[in-house]
Amino acid sequence: MKFDSIIIGGGLSGLTAGIKLAKAGQKVALVAAGHSTLHFNSGSFDLLGHDEQGNAVANPTEAIAKLSAAHPYKKVADVAKLAGEAKQLLADAGLAVEGDAARNHYRLSPMGVAMPAWLTIGGYLTLDDPASIKYKNVAIVNINGYLDFPVAFVADALEKMGAKVAIKTISTPALEVARRSPSEMRATNIAKVLERDGQLEEAAQAINAVLSGEDAVLLPAVLGIADGNGVALLGNLVKTTVKFVATLPPSVPGVRTETLLRKRFEALGGTYIAGDRVKGGKFKGQHLASIETENLTGAELAADTFVLATGSFMSRGLSANYQRVWETAFNLDVDAAADRASWTSEDVFDAQPYQEFGVKTDDKLRVSLGGKTVDNFYAAGSVLSGHNSLKLADGTGVSMLTALQVANNILND
Amino acid sequence: MANETQLSSISANNFEQCLKCSICTVYCPVAAVNPKYPGPKQSGPDGARYRLKNPAFFDEALKMCLNCKRCEVACPNDVRIGDIIQKARIDYSTHKPSLRDTMLANTDFVGTMANIVAPVTNFALGLPITKSVLHSVMSIDKHRSFPKYSSTKFETWFKRNALKEQDAFKKHVSYFHGCYVNYNFPKLGQDLVKVMNAVGYGVHLLEKEKCCGVALISNGLIGQAKRQAQLNTDSIRKSVADDKRPVLTTSSTCTFTMRDEYPHLLGVDNADVRDGLTLATRFLFRLVDEGKIKLAFRPDYKLRVAYHTACHMQKMGWAIYSTELLKMIPGVEFTMLESQCCGIAGTYGFKRENYETSQAIGSSLFDNIKRVNPDVVATDCETCKWQIEMSTGYQVMNPISIIADALDVEKTIELNK
Repeated sequence: MKFDSIIIGGGLSGLTAGIKLAKAGQKVALVAAGHSTLHFNSGSFDLLGHDEQGNAVANPTEAIAKLSAAHPYKKVADVAKLAGEAKQLLADAGLAVEGDAARNHYRLSPMGVAMPAWLTIGGYLTLDDPASIKYKNVAIVNINGYLDFPVAFVADALEKMGAKVAIKTISTPALEVARRSPSEMRATNIAKVLERDGQLEEAAQAINAVLSGEDAVLLPAVLGIADGNGVALLGNLVKTTVKFVATLPPSVPGVRTETLLRKRFEALGGTYIAGDRVKGGKFKGQHLASIETENLTGAELAADTFVLATGSFMSRGLSANYQRVWETAFNLDVDAAADRASWTSEDVFDAQPYQEFGVKTDDKLRVSLGGKTVDNFYAAGSVLSGHNSLKLADGTGVSMLTALQVANNILND
Repeated sequence: MANETQLSSISANNFEQCLKCSICTVYCPVAAVNPKYPGPKQSGPDGARYRLKNPAFFDEALKMCLNCKRCEVACPNDVRIGDIIQKARIDYSTHKPSLRDTMLANTDFVGTMANIVAPVTNFALGLPITKSVLHSVMSIDKHRSFPKYSSTKFETWFKRNALKEQDAFKKHVSYFHGCYVNYNFPKLGQDLVKVMNAVGYGVHLLEKEKCCGVALISNGLIGQAKRQAQLNTDSIRKSVADDKRPVLTTSSTCTFTMRDEYPHLLGVDNADVRDGLTLATRFLFRLVDEGKIKLAFRPDYKLRVAYHTACHMQKMGWAIYSTELLKMIPGVEFTMLESQCCGIAGTYGFKRENYETSQAIGSSLFDNIKRVNPDVVATDCETCKWQIEMSTGYQVMNPISIIADALDVEKTIELNK
C-alpha cells in the first residue's frame, strides 16, 4: 500500500497535516492509536496565552515574535498567515470558531478560571477581559446527577466579576433514565440523549421553567457532539442568551472537533486507520521507506514522506523511565536533559522542565535518528521539543501551525 | 532495577495502565442506550481493582457488554478493556447458562441437527407460532429471523465437487469455513474456492474444525470453548507449521476469536501460528500488492457497494484489505459507511432481553444505509449480515462473494498461470 504521505497520530496536529496534504491532492493515510487529547478540549484553541516571563499576552502574533529560539513557532515561516489558514481549516470541516490571532479573548475553565484563548467554538462563553462579564444577572443551569461540572467554582468566579448568579438544576424524563447509570452520566452520553428526537425541546422547556428574568443562562458543555445544530436550536428555544462552559472530560466540543476533522480528512480521500499503533519502520540510509503497525505488518504502509504527530508523554509519543526519555515508535533523537534530577522542579506548580522535552528537529521540522536527519520524516505538534504548553497556553496553536508548516515543507520540497 | 520493577508490573490485561481518561465511555455503543450497563471504564479497569480485592464486587450486569471491543479501539493507552470485562465474567460469574444460551452457543450441534431436516427447520423457524414459542418459552426475540439452514453442508459440497481438483494446484491454502458457511451459507465457501482456484491456489479443509467458540465464550460455556479452541489451534498448527499452508477465513469474528480471544481469554497459546491464520481478503490483497497474483474483472459488472466495518474487523484493523480489494473492481461504486456497531453482536441480539438495546445501537447505521441506498452492503461478518438484512431490507454480501461475482475467471486463470 503506497501513499504519498503517512501521518502517525490522529490528534489535532495529525488531522490538520492530513487535511492539508489530502486537500493538495496527495494520497494520505493516517494511523491513530486510540482517540486523542482533543477529548479534554475546552471548546477553545490557544495560540499563545502567556509569554515566557508568565505575563498574559494580548496580541499573540506580536508576542510570538519575541519567543526564544528553541520554540517550535520559530520554525513556522508566517505565524499570522498560518493562524488564518488554521481557522479556515476548522471552518471548512464544519467547526465555526470565533477569534483573532492578533487579539486574545478569554474562556472560562470548569474551575471558573478565565484563561486566554485564540479561537472559541460558537455558543461558548467568552470574555473580553478576565475580570469582568457583560451579563449582570446570570443563571447557571446544571443537569440533575451530572457531576463533572463544578457549579460552585463557576458561580464564585462570576460573582467576583460582579454578576448576580443563581444556580438551578433541570432534568427531563430521558435524562432521568440516563441518570440510572451514575458512572456513565457524562457530558458525552448526555449529549447523545439530547440529540434524540424531541429531547432538546423538552430540555429547553425545563430551562425556561427555572429562569426568572436573567440576562444569560450558562450551561455545561453537554450539547453538540456531532455538529453545532443543537447548540443553535437551543439558543432559539430558550428565552434568554445561552452560553456553554467547558466541563471535565470527556469533552463534547473535543469529540465534535476530532470527529469533524476526521470526516473532513476522509471526505478529501484520506485513509484513516483507527486503533492501531506504529511499531517502527524500515529505513534506507537517511530515508524512511515504510512503517509497520500492530495490525498491519509487513511493508504495506510505504510512503514518500512521513509525519510524526504522536503527542507528548500523555499520548505516549514520548516515554520515560528512571534513566532516560525516548521517542516511542522509532527511538528518534530527543531533546531531553541527561541528568534526571533536572527533569523536574520541586514545586509542582513551577514550570516543569520535562514539559519542554520532545523530538529534535531541524529548521524544516525534520526528525533525526542517531544524530543524522531523516530526509523525508517530519514532526508536528506536542511531540516537538522547546516549549511548555501548560505555562505558555500554546498547545493547540503549536499543533495546528507546525502541522500546516510541515505540510507546506512537504508540498514545496 | 527500578525500571525492571516498573515494566514488569503489568497484569495480563493491563488494567493498571488505564489513565482514567474516560475516552472509552464515549464510544461504548451499549452505555449510550442502556443505563443498566455500568459502561466500559467502570466494568473494566475500575471494576478490576475492586474484584481483585473481593470477587463479591463482580456485577452480573457485565453480561450486557457486547464484546465489540470498540472501547479498546478508542483507548489511547492500549488497555484491553473488553478483555478485562470478558475475563471477569469467566472468572467470577456464578450465572449458569440457560437452555436457550446453551442452544444459541452450540452452533455445531444445532447446525448439524438442522441441516438434516433443513426444509422442516427453515419452515418451522419461520412460523409465527414457533417464533411466539421461542419468544415466550426460550426468550429468543420474536422479531428475529433465524438464518436459513442449508440442506447440504459446505463440507459435503466440497468433498463431492471440489476436493479432487485441489491437489493439482502448485500452491495451497487451508480454509476454516466456520459454522455459518458450513450450515447456513455454503455459497460463501464456494465463492472462496472459486476465487482461490482462479489465482492458482488449491483449497483444503482443515484436518478437524469446530466452531471457533465465540458464542460459547459469550454465553459462559468456557470449558467447551477451551476444548474447541485447543482442537482448532492444533489443526491450524498442523496446516501452518507442518503442511506450510496458511489458513484462510471469511468471517472477521471467527478470525479475531481464534487469533486473539484464544490467548487472551481462554489461555490457549497460539503465538507460533497466529500469523498463519488470516482473513482471505487480507491474503489476496497482499498477493496483489506484492505483484504475486493478478485479478481480472468482468467489464459488464456494475454494483454500488456500501461497506460496513464489523466490530471485530475494526478491532483487527483489517477493513482496509477488504475495501481496497473491492475498490479494485472497476464496476464497483464504493461508499464507506461510518464505522459503528450494528447491535447484533452474535447471539446477543437474539435474546429477548437485549432486542431493544440491539436495535437502538444499530439505528443510526440503518438510517445511514438507507440514505446511501446502495445495491448491496458489504461486510466481513455474518451476524452483521443478519442484523442489517433484517433491519434495513438491503442485501448484505461478503467481499469475497462480490469478488467472485465480478471476477473474469478465465482471464484470471490465464494471468496467474
